[in-house]
Amino acid sequence: MITNTQTLTVLWSVNKGDNMSNKYGNDTDSNIRPAGHGDRRAFMYGNEVVVRAALAAKAEFLYGYPITPQNEIMHYWSRLAPAQGGKFLQTEDELSAGFATLGGIMAGARSFSATAGPGTVLFQEPLSMAEMMRIPIVLIVQQRGGPSTATVIYSQQEVFLAIFGGNGEGLRVVYSPGGHQEMYDYTIKAFDTAWRYRFPTLVLGDGYQAKMREPVVLYDPEERGMQLQPAVPFVGGEGVPGVEREPAHWRNAFSVEEELFEALQPIIHDFQHAAPFLTEMEASDLEGAEIIVTGHGIVGRSAREAVRELRAGGVPAGFFRPLTLRPFPAKDLKRILDSCPRLLVVESAQGQLTKLFRIAIGGELEHRVEMYPYFRPGLGITAEEIAREVRAILGGERKEEARAAVSIL
Amino acid sequence: MGGEGGQGVQTAADILAQAAFEEGKEALYIPNFGIEQRGGVSLAFVQIGANPVGSPKFDQAHLVVALSARSLERLQDYLHEGSTLLYDSSLLAPPEVSDSVVGWQAYDTIAPEAFAERRLTDRRQKFPRITKKVHKILGLPAGEMASSRLHPRVSNIIVLGAAARLIEIVRLEEVKKALEKRLANKIRRDPKLKELNYKALELGWEAADRMLKGREAGAAV
Repeated sequence: MITNTQTLTVLWSVNKGDNMSNKYGNDTDSNIRPAGHGDRRAFMYGNEVVVRAALAAKAEFLYGYPITPQNEIMHYWSRLAPAQGGKFLQTEDELSAGFATLGGIMAGARSFSATAGPGTVLFQEPLSMAEMMRIPIVLIVQQRGGPSTATVIYSQQEVFLAIFGGNGEGLRVVYSPGGHQEMYDYTIKAFDTAWRYRFPTLVLGDGYQAKMREPVVLYDPEERGMQLQPAVPFVGGEGVPGVEREPAHWRNAFSVEEELFEALQPIIHDFQHAAPFLTEMEASDLEGAEIIVTGHGIVGRSAREAVRELRAGGVPAGFFRPLTLRPFPAKDLKRILDSCPRLLVVESAQGQLTKLFRIAIGGELEHRVEMYPYFRPGLGITAEEIAREVRAILGGERKEEARAAVSIL
Repeated sequence: MGGEGGQGVQTAADILAQAAFEEGKEALYIPNFGIEQRGGVSLAFVQIGANPVGSPKFDQAHLVVALSARSLERLQDYLHEGSTLLYDSSLLAPPEVSDSVVGWQAYDTIAPEAFAERRLTDRRQKFPRITKKVHKILGLPAGEMASSRLHPRVSNIIVLGAAARLIEIVRLEEVKKALEKRLANKIRRDPKLKELNYKALELGWEAADRMLKGREAGAAV
């Protein structure tokens, strides 16, 4: 149910049978089949997975503006959501989509949006407002090539934008899923995280994950015992404000420096204290590892596959992947690097993830860790090429050029 | 699988992956195209296996399907000694034999060139020079088969039928099922499309079957 939608004057709900369903609804339901315990197994596009997850998380409203490669999120949403009472509003641009989403959330609707590339740039102002006012916005980002228009295909170049793109301190949660199952799991989780901790929560996908089709198990989070944090209105509560209840007063503007400083302290405090509960990572094959291979998102999946192949061939490689890019799982990373201080960072960007690693490692460990880069900005990375790179590093072929490449960051 | 935008490469690749999924395999399909609404090179990547697929892209392909010269140039990177290269010989002129490329001349090139050349030689694109040795190069005049026997628009489905037969992982029945799902909306509007596409699938499947069995495919068309 959508409550307190007074502020939303233009609603556009797309009915079943709309023209869009012909093009984008290609019998999505017939691709889904039971997989036991109420679960259903499907062969699906990533953008549809996002929509299925948002619906499973009881999302009520999508405000958005089209940009490839996330357009189908809007297409599938407008086809599938009305059956659950979901609504859709296409705004005039991403700034408007972001602020409209914030409005929907303040009115009590579990709202979200999705964007990519230059759209993620325009989303920074509403995201930053959400940090200041603790508005639990969920944003799906399907990274495309950059800078500027670049490609509509794929990259991992929106990492810094996702975390530090706003004016402020980057008080956001950023999940980096690596395939459809995680896209489903973490989109659901993002809605819970956003409302539980009241920080903007981003699911940082990419064009590959958006456009590819692979198997996924769909489930009802409540059937699995997950209690999703409810959405509650920020404004328009019962009773007379100032008389029967405290007035709602959500501020993003302050008169004097001291006032802002004071207002920021509890927000920063909350973020720092939430961090240990939020960080997630994946690691494997650490036993006897002589090099740790790392990457995030879909590249993390290639890295995992590379390590499996290397291990099968007797090469002692280990695997680490941050699932949350913000907050970053620094403790786990340090523990791992303490016993194996050699790291290969693989990313479809020119060192954005590597910078996060350098911040996380810091201090004494920084001088001990031998860090090797493998940067392919805007380009996909296969498990095979990662495995080749690991063999080259362990064979002593990369030492000097790797140092040079890292130092110019 | 590669071609020009609009040739139906994405549909064919998508159906192939879906068929593998229907068959209980792990599968991954990913399209790759530029910002053009029409035209431009369109590539599709499909991986099928017993275990979940790792990276969405890969270095070496078992099967490369090319429906245009430009796309084949881009797909060359994926060829290796174990690759089978299937191309539409009514759109692409068969490779010329030359000493510098004698490596692949020795392999079976079972293309019904005699048939295709009579009518289409002048309009066909030049086969790009292949610098790698491959296992097999197979020409299938899918465009010509579609135009003369079914409908020009189902040439990609003929190619799909051949590709499905060549990978030897999926059954024709599963491909039919996947096709019916993928094209459900179109079939609903025009039920005749189902039979037409089934026929195209079968035509491609059977042509590839004859190629694999070493008979001259040209005799069939």
